[in-house]
Amino acid sequence: MNGTASAMLGSLAWMALVLFASPLVEGVMRKVKAVIHSRKGPPIVQPYLDLAKLLVKEDLAGAPGLVARLAPPAAFACVLAAAFLVPVGVSPPAAGAGDLFVFIYLFTLSSACVMAAGLAHASPFSHLGSSREMMMVLTAEAVIVVSLIAVAVAGRGAVPASLGAAGFHWSSLLVLVCYLFAMQALLGKLPFDIPEAEQELMEGPFIEYSGPSLALFKWTFYMKQLVLGALFFHLFVGWPRIAGWGALGALGNLVITFGAVLALSLVVVLVDATNPRLRIDQSLRFFGVLIGVAAVGAGLAAFGW
Amino acid sequence: MAEASTLLSMLRARLGPRLLQGTTLDQSGAVLAEVPRAELRDAASFVHSGLDARFVISVGTDCRPAGDGFRVDHVFSQDRRKTWILLRAYAPADDPSVPSITPLVPAAGWAEREFQDLLGIRAEGHPDPRRLVLPDDWPEALHPLRRDVPYDVHPEPASGTAPPLAAPPDGAMAVPIGPFFPVLEEPVFIKVFADGEEVVGLDYRGFFNHRGIEKLGDSKLTYNEVPFVAERICGICGFVHSTAYVQALENAAGIEAPLRARYIRSIVLELERIHSHLLWLGIAGHILGFDTVLMQAWRIREPVMWLMERMTGNRKSYGMNLVGGVRRDVPKGEHAEILRVLERVEKEWRKVVEAVLEDATLLMRLSKVGVLSTLTARELGSVGPTARGSNRPIDVRIDHPYAAYDRIEVKGVWKESCDAAGRTLVRLEEALESIRQVRQLLAEMPDGPLMHVFDEALPPGREGVSAVEAGRGEVIHYVMTGEDARPYRWRVRAPTYANLQALSASLQGMSIADVPITLGSMDPCFSCTERMQVLDVRSGDVRVYSPGELKQMARAAGRGRGRR
Repeated sequence: MNGTASAMLGSLAWMALVLFASPLVEGVMRKVKAVIHSRKGPPIVQPYLDLAKLLVKEDLAGAPGLVARLAPPAAFACVLAAAFLVPVGVSPPAAGAGDLFVFIYLFTLSSACVMAAGLAHASPFSHLGSSREMMMVLTAEAVIVVSLIAVAVAGRGAVPASLGAAGFHWSSLLVLVCYLFAMQALLGKLPFDIPEAEQELMEGPFIEYSGPSLALFKWTFYMKQLVLGALFFHLFVGWPRIAGWGALGALGNLVITFGAVLALSLVVVLVDATNPRLRIDQSLRFFGVLIGVAAVGAGLAAFGW
Repeated sequence: MAEASTLLSMLRARLGPRLLQGTTLDQSGAVLAEVPRAELRDAASFVHSGLDARFVISVGTDCRPAGDGFRVDHVFSQDRRKTWILLRAYAPADDPSVPSITPLVPAAGWAEREFQDLLGIRAEGHPDPRRLVLPDDWPEALHPLRRDVPYDVHPEPASGTAPPLAAPPDGAMAVPIGPFFPVLEEPVFIKVFADGEEVVGLDYRGFFNHRGIEKLGDSKLTYNEVPFVAERICGICGFVHSTAYVQALENAAGIEAPLRARYIRSIVLELERIHSHLLWLGIAGHILGFDTVLMQAWRIREPVMWLMERMTGNRKSYGMNLVGGVRRDVPKGEHAEILRVLERVEKEWRKVVEAVLEDATLLMRLSKVGVLSTLTARELGSVGPTARGSNRPIDVRIDHPYAAYDRIEVKGVWKESCDAAGRTLVRLEEALESIRQVRQLLAEMPDGPLMHVFDEALPPGREGVSAVEAGRGEVIHYVMTGEDARPYRWRVRAPTYANLQALSASLQGMSIADVPITLGSMDPCFSCTERMQVLDVRSGDVRVYSPGELKQMARAAGRGRGRR
């Protein structure tokens, strides 16, 4: 098998993993959460059943207009595209197609789709949800950006860089923590599920969505989990990684990545299950501090720490 | 009784000849002071400020059959003197109105609107005379609690009516909390006005579940049937209602339940408080998205429910109370099991308390949220943990001892922080205090009969009032005896009725995110306020519907042919 075909296969495998294994991560998280709750919990495949059910249901339009209709597939596509920029140990799926900034753009765009979806409807809950989403994106995503820059600086000493592992630096430890918190927020997990806030806003921007559109939004979030998790693994851990062995090695790397994401999801769900939801002002203050911390990390990285 | 005569002489000194009648109402020593209608506002102001009594509720009564027109009683509580004060005035049948006391006693706002709705006694000068209880499509001139209106009257429903709620102020957005909202288990409509995330005002419409239980008590049920219906007013703390009712009637009839029965009432009441507070913490956790608290609190609570089932035959709605005593004993052989469950609950609950106190994030969401000052809590008549979390040292068990609370030690719990955190800490500690009380009650319970003979042939016109400290606060029942072994008037006030009126004050300047937990921290029980029940109104029978039947009824209702 030649290199190109192997890269193609690897890319396809990664795409399949992102698409079809991401609900499994959610299923595991729900199960773990249930255990923390002293509950039996739903079967691990429940997210698949949820998606299947929603996908065959009627799609009730909560508002007329293209924005409301296109926001869910657009958000979905953005995250899927971003996934291709994450090197996961198969030959980088879309090597050279984009760098750190494209990744950030795509991720922000998917959040923007969520905001637009909320604003396209007339519900005060979706509007409040969208304005909260905006505030969360401006802060939590900024933390991710600074973290990525810090890693890039540590690794290559130059920005922009493609998403690449930096190897170990002391600054990484600082940045790693910042990244984890921001990831928790971008995944809509407690204590940062403020835009959706079931008990306050009844899912905020998503309140008017049903059927396949809602399924796409849910799926988007499942994929985000996998992509951000894989990126974390790649940026801050980066090992063990199989070099060579062609397609088999690539497949092995995917399995390792998936296992790592599952392990990371345990941390995410643990934080999720042991915290109440913050108020938006409390969250803004928190991430404001975190941006500073990540910036310090970037500064340290620039000095070679 | 000594306190009653002191209060009476103070009233006499102030009101002079304007005090038409000054006497004690019942064997509890409640003071009854009758004034001319025109003097009602002045007298109420004196009772409220001069006697430092807290407004509790108003009772409107249709006395036209006896030729007395309409009667209004404003019930106050002088907590330090452990005495109820009923301020009474009559309005002639052809001019059913009394001066509103709400401008001077803000806590009376809802109570006056209620007798305005249900009895058609106008509260002249009320600052907000909109409908409170009756549905928006209910006919203007039909006042269901009047004696000449049958209990099963069904006016034709009208369409196109809507609650007359205020419009949001300029620049603010209306956020509808309800009528159905995920964390509110019952229908209520709170229209919150928000400027961005900040709450700048609200308007309220509730009573969607009003089923007219008081009316049933006046027209269909007999003295000893009422406790079973009263217990179904609330789906969480029903026993407080049946206890308050039987005690009020005992006070009216001048009988006293045997001591052992009173101990048993206290035991069941405290067990009910324990499971109510555990339930509350779970819901509060859920409101904040902290479902681990919900699941663990309810897991800890469950053995208490099993215990209740073992003791009374039911997880809820125990059916223990009758006028004059209780129907079932708590035999010696059961004590070990009760103590075993309590020990387990206490152990786990202490862990929960510890975890909550150490959880900085949780405290961040509770501190300085839903702030209700001590003064506002008094002015608006807040009760229970809502008042005690605002540093109001009121607790019916201490202020108006009933059942066996005069025999045991009762430690009141109050906190100074005046916010949701204070209300939380009050409940956390009260559950532990209740466990201690049950232990003491079990250890000291005397032997003896369970029931005092109660003769249903009571002379009409005897009155009694009694209150019980429920998990959510003070439940008060007023009963006036009538003909045919049934009350002439039975009045119920659940704690949420008093506490919900403080919602607006405690939400000012809060964030939208704080609305659910502020509301939740008052532990609202809307249906309790609205006196709802699952009951066949036609026959007065309580019946259980199978899931199949319920489905059929729901479908029938969907086709527009359901029972109203």
